[in-house]
Amino acid sequence: MSLIQLLINTVALGAAYALVALGFVWVLNATAAVNFSHGDLVMAGGFATLALAGWLAPLMPGGVPGLVLLPLVVIAMAGVGLLVSLLAYFPLKDRPPVAVFISTIALGIVLANGATALFGAEPRATPPLLQSGFLELGGVIVGRQALAVIVVAALLIAGQHVLFAHTQLGRKLRATAQDRAMAAALGIPVTLMIALTFALATALAGAAGLLLSHSFFVTPSDGLNYMIKAYIAVTIGGWGSLLGAVAGAFLIASFDVFLPGLPALVPALGALPGADWLFSQTVASIVLYVLLLAILVLRPHGLFGEAVQRRA
Amino acid sequence: MTARLRLDALSVCYGAITALDGVSLEVGAGEAVALLGANGAGKSTLLNAVIGLVPSAAGVVSLDGVALTGRAVHRRAALGLGYCPEGRRVFPGMTVYDNLAVASPRAKRAREEAIARQFALFPALADKAYDRAWQLSGGQQQMLAIARALMTEPRVLLLDEPSLGLAPLLAQEMLAHVRAIAASGTAVLLAEQNVATALAVTQRAYVLQVGRVVESGPSAALRTSPAIQAAFLGA
Repeated sequence: MSLIQLLINTVALGAAYALVALGFVWVLNATAAVNFSHGDLVMAGGFATLALAGWLAPLMPGGVPGLVLLPLVVIAMAGVGLLVSLLAYFPLKDRPPVAVFISTIALGIVLANGATALFGAEPRATPPLLQSGFLELGGVIVGRQALAVIVVAALLIAGQHVLFAHTQLGRKLRATAQDRAMAAALGIPVTLMIALTFALATALAGAAGLLLSHSFFVTPSDGLNYMIKAYIAVTIGGWGSLLGAVAGAFLIASFDVFLPGLPALVPALGALPGADWLFSQTVASIVLYVLLLAILVLRPHGLFGEAVQRRA
Repeated sequence: MTARLRLDALSVCYGAITALDGVSLEVGAGEAVALLGANGAGKSTLLNAVIGLVPSAAGVVSLDGVALTGRAVHRRAALGLGYCPEGRRVFPGMTVYDNLAVASPRAKRAREEAIARQFALFPALADKAYDRAWQLSGGQQQMLAIARALMTEPRVLLLDEPSLGLAPLLAQEMLAHVRAIAASGTAVLLAEQNVATALAVTQRAYVLQVGRVVESGPSAALRTSPAIQAAFLGA
């Protein structure tokens, strides 16, 4: 494996994690509550992809590419996001944030067990975006799926940036997240904005599920793993910071992929005593979580600090 | 002639405490009216009840003769109530431009024109158009909060303590804007503790004391009223 390959795999995973983390932060900012079902919604996106691929299979006997499924999954998951807000957020919005924490944990369990009942507990793989296999680019062999994931995730991240930074709807969503009562007093329908935030965040989670579940498979119990990744990305990057969430996602991906892949790149490292142990997923996880603790102690506001400060 | 904004026997309760007790008042189009009273007299509660952020226990608020009872906060704003809260509450992480744009109900071109009008009215904001609101000084934030409320094209502007925390000269400047806004045809209800300046820029005033109107009349006459002294110094 070359450095380029390793980097491309890392970036692909980081970009998909970034989609997960961004949606998590939006809902966090808009509701001041943690949506603990967010990881299960990534998993649900993977299974929604499988289900849609199954339904469309008779129309496309050669296999339905992920790129065709993507818009359908995004729309379906946006609808799921609205349901999440109606079931787990709006009935509890005037209670302390812990109520939503619990209700979304419950919803996540329902989603995980629902997926087991419908699809079984075995790992399943979603179709590739276009094709699986490899491609030779200037003498470097790279995975087609990894490249496609990078392109699609980059477009989705750019799209959400344009929406939030440069459109009137985006301004209304941000204003609602920053001061809900004030936004309402300016004529912004804040309930609708919060419901839309859930829809957009869940659509992105669903897209991430589609992107991740080809190479990494999907099982009904995946939710917790994704949830923790999102939570950590957001904690590393700075609670509430969008840029921080993306940075955190890439940092996590580099521990997932890059560190365990290093000996393949630098054979001298593989020859070190205990290299198998040192450059393993297990040790990478330990290092990542020690780093997380260090960041919490040394920079409690995360690497990107608080996006907003207040004047006295 | 119906008043632009009219409160009929409006009461607000926080639990067992009556914060506003049967307050009636009127503000006409193009009129600036002061709402005076000491801290805790109920000025902010009254404005919050008008915009709907605080539920009223009894009484009716009407805008151009239309009762607002039961209407959500954002509907009241859309009907023509502009709200500039105590403490400014600009959207801290958004730019000055975005703070203004988000309040506009108009499509892009009319929105840009409206922002240009606010920048002409408050040139200090034009210089900071792409700064984040939290980076502004207190006076600039106050200008932004007023300009943002004007972006909603209100028929009635509710201004809560715009001079609070500002240097005297800035406070004077802020209150001078009140006169200009009313002159443009907007009804202004100005809650203030800065009595002298508030009376100087308004035509009429109401004095609140522990949730009741204890005095009202032309601002010029109230300047010498003993009720003002009592409301601020007495019980």
